[in-house]
Amino acid sequence: MSMLAYAESATSSSSDTEPDAQVDFTTMLVQRQRGCESGSKLHTTDADQEQQEQDQGYYLEQYVLGVLDFSSQYGIDYSISYTASNVIGRPTKFPAYGDYPETFTMRTYGDWWQRAPSATRDIQPQNMPPIDTHDYIVVYFEEFVVPTEVAIFETFNPGAVVRIWAYSMTKHWHCLWEATAKDLNYLCHDSRRFAPPLKKTSIITKTLRIEFNHSNLNYYTEIDAIMLCGRTVSHRRIQNLLGKARAHSQTQISLAASALGSSSTALAVGHGPISCKLRSLKFQPICRSDNNADADPVTGACKKFINDFINNDLSQFLLDNRLANEMVEQQQQQQLQEMQLTPANVHAQAAARRICLTDLPFEILLKILSYLDLQSLFRVGQVSRIFYDISTHPLLYVEINLKPYWQLANSELLCTLARRATILRKLDLSWCGGFGDVSPTEFKKFLTQRGDNLTHLRLNSCKFLNASCIETVGIVCDNLNELSLRNCATDPPLLNFSCLVNLKNLERLDLFQTAFETELLLSMLEGNRKLKHLNLAFCGVSVNMDNVAAHLANYNTQLVSLDMWKAHFLTARGLQSLSHCHQLEELDLGWCLREASLGDGLYQLLVNCPKLRKLFLSAVRGTTEHDLRHIAQLGKNLEQLDLMGILNITHERVYDILIHCPKLQLLDLSFCENIMDRDFDILADWSRLFKVNIKSSRIYDPR
Amino acid sequence: MHSLNWTSRVISRALRSSFSTLLETATNRTGNGSVKSSSSRSPTPTPQRPHFVSVVCGFAKDNLRHKYKPGKYGEDSWFKASTEQADVMGVADGVGGWRSYGIDPGEFSSFLMRTCERLVHCSHFNPQRPVNLLAYSYCELMEQKKPILGSSTACVLILNRETSTVHTANIGDSGFIVVRQGEVVHKSEEQQHYFNTPFQLSLPPPGHGPNVLSDSPESADTMSFPVEDGDVILIATDGVFDNVPEALMLQVLREVEGERDPVKLQMTANTLALMARTLSLNSEFLSPFALSARRNNIQARGGKPDDITVVLATVAI
Repeated sequence: MSMLAYAESATSSSSDTEPDAQVDFTTMLVQRQRGCESGSKLHTTDADQEQQEQDQGYYLEQYVLGVLDFSSQYGIDYSISYTASNVIGRPTKFPAYGDYPETFTMRTYGDWWQRAPSATRDIQPQNMPPIDTHDYIVVYFEEFVVPTEVAIFETFNPGAVVRIWAYSMTKHWHCLWEATAKDLNYLCHDSRRFAPPLKKTSIITKTLRIEFNHSNLNYYTEIDAIMLCGRTVSHRRIQNLLGKARAHSQTQISLAASALGSSSTALAVGHGPISCKLRSLKFQPICRSDNNADADPVTGACKKFINDFINNDLSQFLLDNRLANEMVEQQQQQQLQEMQLTPANVHAQAAARRICLTDLPFEILLKILSYLDLQSLFRVGQVSRIFYDISTHPLLYVEINLKPYWQLANSELLCTLARRATILRKLDLSWCGGFGDVSPTEFKKFLTQRGDNLTHLRLNSCKFLNASCIETVGIVCDNLNELSLRNCATDPPLLNFSCLVNLKNLERLDLFQTAFETELLLSMLEGNRKLKHLNLAFCGVSVNMDNVAAHLANYNTQLVSLDMWKAHFLTARGLQSLSHCHQLEELDLGWCLREASLGDGLYQLLVNCPKLRKLFLSAVRGTTEHDLRHIAQLGKNLEQLDLMGILNITHERVYDILIHCPKLQLLDLSFCENIMDRDFDILADWSRLFKVNIKSSRIYDPR
Repeated sequence: MHSLNWTSRVISRALRSSFSTLLETATNRTGNGSVKSSSSRSPTPTPQRPHFVSVVCGFAKDNLRHKYKPGKYGEDSWFKASTEQADVMGVADGVGGWRSYGIDPGEFSSFLMRTCERLVHCSHFNPQRPVNLLAYSYCELMEQKKPILGSSTACVLILNRETSTVHTANIGDSGFIVVRQGEVVHKSEEQQHYFNTPFQLSLPPPGHGPNVLSDSPESADTMSFPVEDGDVILIATDGVFDNVPEALMLQVLREVEGERDPVKLQMTANTLALMARTLSLNSEFLSPFALSARRNNIQARGGKPDDITVVLATVAI
């Protein structure tokens, strides 16, 4: 009897042809019961009953057990204030609303960082989805479930969540929910439990990825907890699926082309009947107008014109053309009947009159296809030989951005791209390769083949990077202008390889949240005299910032932007060294200096760097009233000023600054206890009067 | 500046011993059928394992000014936490001198204790190093947006369930007493710079650093000792130790040895706190404070009005 029951279960599970189990509980239960009843009832063993109970599963709500990855956080790694680890466990502050340190906060908000001098342009911008992702966090839970609800507890400035992904047991990411423009316009000043309607799915998961977009936010958003609700699945089933997934991954041949060519949902591996695939193939070009191009009215207008034409009128144009051709054909046929030419001739003549896309010159087609995003480009290549030849032309692969396709990027894709991208200049592999999809060897091969002309390389949050990858970067890509290695914090630090010193042309170096050896950084600074943008936020406690500042003063006087958020060991001496960089437009000294007194440092800086547009002095508690006076006097070009948590601020100084800094757009006065005591509305009035966005958040202390 | 250097040293040491608030990544974690949580939030251990039965009582110095808030008694503050590995208790006494500078002394001690409580549940909590707990809690102060100033003493006690040992760390004049079979077996030492100026963790306002007494957590007095079933442990701030003579305390504590009923324990804690309160307001009584003042050539008499915090626990194995 027991054999029958197991056999029953075996057939039911093997009837799932797709790796993602179609878990139909009712049918399963009915089958079990039938299986039990078909045998003798007397022989029902305990094992069967257990199995029945196990297979039924139960509804489970669970909170985060651990954090696997995040793109940025406000606090520093070893702290528990404003860091990603606060997402773990039950919500501590919800439903209270306020700026609490026991929550997860990200580093940026609004579009202020896009307006700053250090803002970067997207590589291959047409790849970007309409609602971009700025930050993400990957969390895991304890039990595997079939997700029915994901609730996110937001305790400050809600409304930043844009996508929820789940990682199924078949090693694929599935998008459970995606925001529309309407969702982003949520402006409410109250904490909320955000549980959007998820797609109906039957995947089994315990890892989630939440993506955020801050552009509409007034201030930082803070997340207290994440809850995953769903039905559990029996352990036996999980083991079965794991076994099948392993076998499956060994035998599958996942071509990168097919991965991008087919629809981006569960059937990414190219399974399923061909008719399904054909049905889901849609040629819908995503023509995004480049923001910078709008500055030039001619190209901007042209692009807009082309956008409109392709989206609205192309189909009509082709239809009209076909009709026109048909009319011409009819005329010809009439002429034929009059002239009695042979049908073959007519056919040839008629054929000659038909205009189709492939008749356009190669360069025009190339130009048309250059507006396509990468996914559409791969799909176009599947249309015909001609289109395949055009779509694989190297000129279309000068800039490659795989960040919006992070869930699809794998080693095979890199291989395919390596064949096509012979004149690659800009490469963005940010966020790709988590969970071992991209192998370091493949990446190194790619770089060695195609990396010598690279000018921009972005490898933010790439988990596959190891020591030899960085070495390859250093050796191969010596024309690099921009190197971005954000969030590569590993132990031991990656950047202790002298190969990176080979890079001599760097203008932008981004080491946000990445550990590095001070010696290496100093030698890189010495080598790259043209360095303009340097980001050393969260660089850790082992770096002596005074030394770095001294080097900057000596070797990198062209520096335009510098970010030293939460750097330790910066003193007034370092600040004075920084004043040698006369081109400085952006300086972020948040949480540096701590209680140390600034001395003359800030004054020297303001005098010697008149172009300063963005100055962040968050929690630089040593700022005195004199310093604030100097800011007002000398900060003529200041656009963004952050004075959070500074104790000695008075209303007079704030007024001073507002009057004397005509270009000021952002003034952050949160947690300045002195001015909070008085009437809150004064700040609101000034904000309106001077047209400055004044932030004044604080912990709302319930008394 | 001194505190700045010191904290950086601690942090770099911690980082070298590879600690991070993020759990170690595991690309194979998603493959596992079941994941064992390292420090679960559910506190109740199995009855066989050693644990504290603990209660708290106290009085603020001026009941009228301070509305009762859980976790604090006036400027004093306490916390209790327990995980699978350990039971932790602690008290902190805010130094009152800051009030004249416009700083609320209770904020510092309260923050210290709340953060200790949160840190106990972190993955990097080491049940054998209470000094680390204090140190990290102190570091957290500097990561707060809201500027928290002031200073306080602190005393933290951890019972490690595996080994049935208690590890303690004490800075300043708060302290603890362990009573076994009617005798005091362990007692903390009072740390003072000079009379009525105990060792203290402090965060001075910017610019006043050199003028303010600030001790690093490394100067804490640490002790580790094994405990047996029925031991009575009392952690209290100086409001108790300065007002209640040791013999009297011993008399009270001797009676709860081996007591597992929290209600009875609470009654004893209440008694002790009330005793301390009454004696502190008595202007004739020769309290331990008065005696030590006289040793320092100060003619004093009577109790010392102060906040009183009593954390009383018995060890149950």
